[in-house]
Amino acid sequence: MAVSETSIGTWRAGLGRATRGLSASGRIGAAIILVYVAVALTGSLWAPYGAAAILTGSPFEGGSLKHLFGTDNLGRDVFSRVVLGTRSVLTMTFAATFLALAVGGLIGIVLGYLRNWVDELGMRIIDILISIPTLVLALLIISAIGNSLWLVVLTVAFLFAPRVARVARAATLNVATNDYVAAALARGESTLSICLREILPNIMGVMLVEFAIRCAFAIIFIGSLGFLGFGAPPPTPEWGLMINEARANATNSLWPVLAPAAVMALLVIAINLFADGLSRMIDHPGYRTTGAK
Amino acid sequence: MTGSQHPVAQLKNLSVDYQGGDGWTRAVDDVSLDIASGEALGLAGESGSGKTTVAYSLMGERRGASRIAGGQVLFRGRDVFQLPRHELLALRGRSIGFVPQNPMASLTPSMRIGSQIGEMLTFHAVATPQGVAARVRELLEQVGIPRPAEAARRYPHELSGGQQQRVAIAIALACRPDLVILDEPTTGLDVTTQKRILELLAALKRETGVSMLYVSHDLASLSQICERVAVMQRGRLVEEADTAALFEQPRHDYTRRLIAAIPRIDTPPTNRIAPSSSVTGAGEPLLQVEDLAICYASRTLLGLGKYPPDSDSVKGVSFSVARGKTFALIGESGSGKSSIARAVAGLSRPRLGTIRFGGEPVAALAQRRPLQLRQKIQIIFQNPDSSLNPRKTVRSILARPLRMFGQLNAVEREARVVELLQAVRLDAAYADRRPHQLSGGERQRVAIARALAADPELIICDEILSALDVSVQASVLELLETLQRERGLTYLFISHDLAVVRWFAQEIGVLNRGAFCEIGDTETTLRAPSSPYTTQLLNAVPRIAANLPMVTPLERRL
Repeated sequence: MAVSETSIGTWRAGLGRATRGLSASGRIGAAIILVYVAVALTGSLWAPYGAAAILTGSPFEGGSLKHLFGTDNLGRDVFSRVVLGTRSVLTMTFAATFLALAVGGLIGIVLGYLRNWVDELGMRIIDILISIPTLVLALLIISAIGNSLWLVVLTVAFLFAPRVARVARAATLNVATNDYVAAALARGESTLSICLREILPNIMGVMLVEFAIRCAFAIIFIGSLGFLGFGAPPPTPEWGLMINEARANATNSLWPVLAPAAVMALLVIAINLFADGLSRMIDHPGYRTTGAK
Repeated sequence: MTGSQHPVAQLKNLSVDYQGGDGWTRAVDDVSLDIASGEALGLAGESGSGKTTVAYSLMGERRGASRIAGGQVLFRGRDVFQLPRHELLALRGRSIGFVPQNPMASLTPSMRIGSQIGEMLTFHAVATPQGVAARVRELLEQVGIPRPAEAARRYPHELSGGQQQRVAIAIALACRPDLVILDEPTTGLDVTTQKRILELLAALKRETGVSMLYVSHDLASLSQICERVAVMQRGRLVEEADTAALFEQPRHDYTRRLIAAIPRIDTPPTNRIAPSSSVTGAGEPLLQVEDLAICYASRTLLGLGKYPPDSDSVKGVSFSVARGKTFALIGESGSGKSSIARAVAGLSRPRLGTIRFGGEPVAALAQRRPLQLRQKIQIIFQNPDSSLNPRKTVRSILARPLRMFGQLNAVEREARVVELLQAVRLDAAYADRRPHQLSGGERQRVAIARALAADPELIICDEILSALDVSVQASVLELLETLQRERGLTYLFISHDLAVVRWFAQEIGVLNRGAFCEIGDTETTLRAPSSPYTTQLLNAVPRIAANLPMVTPLERRL
């Protein structure tokens, strides 16, 4: 008992440290994201119906206690499908964004550190990649190679990586002129070691904010792919796909369209709030204490 | 004092608190000061002594996360913290001018300087729209900028540091204020420029009769401008006296220390303990630099073309440094000192020339040099804020070279980190801190410890004292001296401070625009300089105003 109380105490203190300086809207964003993560982790344990269970009620029912978000054309419970879809949406989003950050971040740091002809060449390639409309390129890749969840993840990561690289490079330019980089160079450290040991820790704040912003983009992007039928195959409870399937019957019931759309929008808003708070906290450490009289 | 019945500005028992990690800490404690009309008051003290907070409070400015804990700030009899906002805005700039420490940061980079001065005149409506241009020219002329009409059309980056500071002074004087606050106005400038700015300020004070509050850690500069000097230490006013009296009879111990810390170029150095000659091979040249030429201008397309002619920032420099001795490179900013340091450290590729270490020519870039060579040549940078990675602990900063150059296991490394900290007079507990938890002097000690961690033979010291307060400089220099005696280290010491160099280095090379104008034994060179440039440098060293007697030898500071 005593042990658990102390552990809760230290956990609280840790949370306090992590969120100190985060603005109120940033905290709200963080709280909503945590709820989504919790739903993704535990949803399968308590979702009232299975994702593919048809005729759990009559088709096109409105919201009720039995079916919180109503039912779709096959009588599937929209609430259960939304809850069960959270996991795949979050997994794909985080995986794609993380991959984009790791690859793009490393490329950006190395280019920004080198600042020679490699940087020149690399940046022009990145410019070209960025100038291609993302959705068109994504549809091209997916229709050429095939339709699987992991391909969607890889495609999104591939599309986002050059954009992340640009941000990482810009942040690196400010850091690379510091004398501790020169000191490492004089010591004879390898380029990779300088990038990872000396530069990366100092642009971590920028990368965290970038991660949060990219996550929001990734959710919409993956949703769009699902909506266009280039994401997960039916009957996967993927939000974008759900909107697309329900679209044809929108005249019968709006619930199956609105519920996944609202859930997706709320998540994106929450991530944006959090990213905004995070970037303010990193740009102005002690931002909140300064305002205090 | 005359006129003190009608002070322009008054601090009455002012106390200011800052919000720290936990709770409020007192930054300014019960300070009372008067500035009389037409008087220049010097405010001395080291960084963190609260002098800048006092200066800002005169303008009714509270810096972030601070509060007025007691007392009043009166300007012409009115409490500035009680003024309504529009009156406060009128006060700032109109009645009180401000000259900041770093003009490059305070001037807007994208605005012509004429418009920046003119903005001040139009904002406070002290000149008619037609009169603005004329007044701008007049001001630029007053602060000694040549061809004012043309200069007004320039952008800040097109001016030298000294000229930028002149523009900042012109902005401060634009509305003919009653009081000008100068916050370390010459700190970022080299000695010759500093001298000219001080002369300008003295002349402006005579001509305009403006009151000044001159904030500086440099008592020598203060003594040239100010009638009275107030000394602050840890937020308290420890001494306030007429300038002459302060130098003749400093009452407070801290004032005595500050005075003793002023570099005294005019006293001949007494016997500094000669570096150990017991080191094997002492006196042999350890580092030889031959015909070194460095060019930063980029070559034409893709780096294939030729360097543009006459673009070298270092033009064929040769010198050698004997083992166990100190060789000093002296010169103004832009003379190529640091370029040479970086080339020797392997951070930039010289266009021409050879660098020999222990007789063997070395590769140009550090990455191409063998491990033992990188270990033997270490560099300490000017600014410890930038040379220590803010995300690392002191332990990991020191452990990295140990791991790279040594064969110690984890336990031995930990012991060595503690030894290194002790060697630079820091407590072992510092190992867990990060750079932002250290003072400037402590950070520079960590940077020295990092250089020592490699167990080097040659240490390149690139202006390592210039970012530090005078009394901290003394202790860092003492540390270097002890280390040289104990370990037989060789220093390539880059500095613009002739007083320090005279005491510290056996040989000296004076650089002017990338070439030596004089090179040789320090004492001989400085006593009887053969080059007019050396003479000019020597004359520019700030010293205590001539009428003030001073007997403290430089060695006292060590």
